Amino acid sequence: MDPLLYVLDLIVFIGIFGILALSLNLEFGFAGLANFGKVAFFLIGAYTYALLSQIGVPFYLCLIAGATLSAAFGLLISLPALRLRADYLAIAILTFGEILRLIVKSESWIAGGDWGISVSPAIAISGGSHRVDVLVNIGLVYFCLLICFVIAQLLANSPYGRVMRAVREDEVAAEALGKNRARYKAQVLMLGSAMAGIAGGLYAQYLQYVLPGMFMPMVTFTVWIMVLLGGPANNWGAVLGAVLVTLFDRGTNIAKDYLTLPIDPSNLQYILFGALIILVLLYRPQGLLKESPIKTKALESVKRERSVVKGKGS
Amino acid sequence: MEEGLLRIREVSKHFGGVYAVNGVSLDVKEGGICGLVGPNGSGKSTLFNTILGIHRPDGGNIYFNGNCINCLAPHQIYALGLVNAFQLPRLFYQMSVLDNMLVAARGQQGDKLLNSLFLRRKWQEQEKGLIEEALEILELMELDKWAFSLAGELSGGQRKLLEVARALMAKPTLLLLDEPAAGINPVLGRKMFQKLEDLSRNGTTFFIVEHRLEILFEFASWIYVMDRGKTVVGGEPEDISEEPAFYRAYLGEE
Amino acid sequence: MAVNWAQVFFNSAITGSLYLIGAVGLTLTYGLSGFPNFAHAEFITLGAYIAYSVAAQFGLGPPLALVVAFLCTGIVGFLCYRGVFQVLAKRGATIIHLMVASIALGFVLRYSIGAAWGWEPLYFATVWPTSSLWSRHDIGSIAVTNLWLWLIFAAVALAVTMHFVLVKTKIGKAIRATSSNPELALASGINIQRVIWITWFLGAGLAAIAGVFRGADTRIWPMTGWDMILPMFAVVILGGIGNFYGAIAAAFIVGLAENVGVVALTAMGLSSTYRIGIAFLILIITLILKPQGLAMLFRRG
Repeated sequence: MDPLLYVLDLIVFIGIFGILALSLNLEFGFAGLANFGKVAFFLIGAYTYALLSQIGVPFYLCLIAGATLSAAFGLLISLPALRLRADYLAIAILTFGEILRLIVKSESWIAGGDWGISVSPAIAISGGSHRVDVLVNIGLVYFCLLICFVIAQLLANSPYGRVMRAVREDEVAAEALGKNRARYKAQVLMLGSAMAGIAGGLYAQYLQYVLPGMFMPMVTFTVWIMVLLGGPANNWGAVLGAVLVTLFDRGTNIAKDYLTLPIDPSNLQYILFGALIILVLLYRPQGLLKESPIKTKALESVKRERSVVKGKGS
Repeated sequence: MEEGLLRIREVSKHFGGVYAVNGVSLDVKEGGICGLVGPNGSGKSTLFNTILGIHRPDGGNIYFNGNCINCLAPHQIYALGLVNAFQLPRLFYQMSVLDNMLVAARGQQGDKLLNSLFLRRKWQEQEKGLIEEALEILELMELDKWAFSLAGELSGGQRKLLEVARALMAKPTLLLLDEPAAGINPVLGRKMFQKLEDLSRNGTTFFIVEHRLEILFEFASWIYVMDRGKTVVGGEPEDISEEPAFYRAYLGEE
Repeated sequence: MAVNWAQVFFNSAITGSLYLIGAVGLTLTYGLSGFPNFAHAEFITLGAYIAYSVAAQFGLGPPLALVVAFLCTGIVGFLCYRGVFQVLAKRGATIIHLMVASIALGFVLRYSIGAAWGWEPLYFATVWPTSSLWSRHDIGSIAVTNLWLWLIFAAVALAVTMHFVLVKTKIGKAIRATSSNPELALASGINIQRVIWITWFLGAGLAAIAGVFRGADTRIWPMTGWDMILPMFAVVILGGIGNFYGAIAAAFIVGLAENVGVVALTAMGLSSTYRIGIAFLILIITLILKPQGLAMLFRRG
């Protein structure tokens, strides 16, 4: 395989998973919501994109539609689960994802069942090579990643971000301080699902096909590893996690072509993933990057004044 | 009878058949400090949690400022101006002391999803003022030095102070405090009550459960005594300390 | 289309029995340790593989293979708790961390199983070809195999035994006391740690038995447990977390709903793979209407 193409492909994957990691970081890292069904919203985005692109809808509308539908489902699933504890939400969303995959698998009239359907390229450049296509995709993916990152950063460093964290820390106390926790959780789940929907659309667009096998629960937990490893409640950490885990994934994929191991390498890869999560939880539950404190203009200026006063005093 | 700011009428709350609160009626009048005392297990904390909407009452009605608040969620009760500080501090431990304060502030522009993104100028301007207010309250509680530390790094007594400070930040009409002086040194405890008394002159009403009777009796303008889920007697501190029912509640004599 | 309702009800009893055996450990560990153990699915799978292996290697018959699977998987369950969850809990891990860790552990187990035994399905019929388990009878209009009768017998025996264990024995009383109020149990001098260890051992062992029955009824592959875990969560939540009697009722309710549901799905021309959707519906309806499940029907001190 063309080595440059391989690197470009890797870059696309990092971007797409970066968006997923940012979305889970909003939900889990900041708001403390255990979304064990991330892949469901990824799937909704991908299938919406695929189906709409087949009837000739322009790619940006496909992306927006995927995000909107995904957000709507995020809201829907939040309605019964939000009044409840973290474990109920986790089980309910996980089951939701499995059922969604079952539906697209068994109902072949929707999108080809097991065999999936193909997606037409968004921006066709006549005479362009495969490399050019991938570069176009990189542009698209990183543009979306940038938007998601900026939104996540702005939210994290605002009074809204303060409430998200407060709900994560102690939802009863947050509620007693006037914050409607159900509303905040529903909003965060909608926003996170919209981002996952965009990531799904980009994934479908890049691979130019969708099939149920792409949306196994493993995808969800790959994203969880990214967030836990990189550092929950730190958007840079989420992106860092996406980079590291994707590299690790690719690294083991390459290694298995060159190494002869006593264990089937595709099994080994998952075993290592699982072990990695457990090790991170045991030895570095805060992740590689620590939670980033809330930064607003006013807070920063007070902090600065105080350090000046302290400097004078000593 | 004069209308109270908080009116509790025949409120009951039971857990699995055991009545923790059994037909309590009392009034907290506007202004000043109202105390609630009673031995452990007499139902004071359950009564507080029922007022706050954390428990639903099984019987009776609770009125705040003329509104029936039985069926309201805690955040709606906050919106009416009724705020509390928990007996065991429930702080946001992974957040700074100052951020803990700012969460509680009332009427924030930037705590709505879209406003936080699109009305940045507006909430940034507002936040400046809020930070000043927060620092003033923290200074009052001698916590201002720790404004940028994580709440989880505070000592037990400081956590208690922050819990009260955070509730004050919400500018309550009526503030419910569950043993605010427990676990902090007596000098600071007395100081805190002095500050609460000052604040009560500016229109905040306090309803306080406190085991340190000597402090409470000094500052309170009215005291209720609870025993076995009922209010047994209420009156001015001087009268209460001569009530036999008060001693019976504590000493458990029939 | 004529539906053989007698068969549907009999199948419901089989499904319910299977879910009951599988879910008892899940609900008890959930109640005691305070988090849903997703790796419970892999205990089921592991049990099936262990029984298969000892049968293939040493020629053990079904009863002995079942005992070995019970013991080995029980030990694995204990080690998982002792080695991972107990350590995490001690370090102040949140419930979300514990859930993620259990999923991660599930992956480690599942793919280790895949590495050890491969992903091709295995069949108990190949190791016990002459066993009477497979022989079929027709009772009236109902088709019955000995395996199914044993499964129902095992579930009933489990229910009766567990009832006596929980009510009469010291350890059973300790389990109930600990799951309803850990602090009180600690104050009353119960060694909570040991109670939890025993529960994890028992729970994983019972999961293994469910795995053997499921494997014998269908096939064994590394996803055997995962295919059952979601309906089992419906059982646990419908029954009330940590509530054994609730779980009995819930297992048969979910079993009945699934089997009747499949009839309904077929009548509507939908794929019967949606039977998992029925469990999901039960789960969601329970969460909306009564998150504490049937537990309030079974208030036993």
